[in-house]
Amino acid sequence: MTAPPRAAAAPDRLGPAATAILAWIVPGGGHVVHGQARKGAIFFVVLVGMFGIGLASGGRLFPFQIADVLVFLAAGAEWLAGLPRLIGALAGAGRGDVVAATYEYGNAFLIAGGLLNLLVILDAVDLAAGRKAR
Amino acid sequence: MTTHLGYLILFAACLAAVFGALLRDDPAAQLRLAGRILTGLVLGAWALGWLMYLAF
Repeated sequence: MTAPPRAAAAPDRLGPAATAILAWIVPGGGHVVHGQARKGAIFFVVLVGMFGIGLASGGRLFPFQIADVLVFLAAGAEWLAGLPRLIGALAGAGRGDVVAATYEYGNAFLIAGGLLNLLVILDAVDLAAGRKAR
Repeated sequence: MTTHLGYLILFAACLAAVFGALLRDDPAAQLRLAGRILTGLVLGAWALGWLMYLAF
């Protein structure tokens, strides 16, 4: 039994690990370096936009708090967004307006944005590894 | 924006855009898939909302 044919990874492009790091830091960046600039632009605009909407809606940038499992998981999901999460933290944004009507919506956007970026990172890693055609 | 429906549509549109771009390569196919996902999410949430309203 033979292994399924793989698309050859171009040697001049980033490997899977470097692609994963780039795609994590800049949403859509992994696709851009592998020749899918249009997709990368869509991911960047939508994921950074989701993060912005989340912050504008009063969502909270959760800390890594071991005592509360859900807060810990939410923090992990938000950090998957990469650079937007770092900039948000450095800018002092995301204190979370608990009494705002849109607080939970904001959290949903922040957390879902990070989790969607995980899917985008995995897709970029597949591109880098040659498991997916460019 | 503070309406539930507005947030629902905005959230569904973001998900639809990401999944459309992830799962299809051709721009027209991406748009079609995103449209189907957006419609499914909004109508599904609307139907579920009515179901819960009537059931509980």
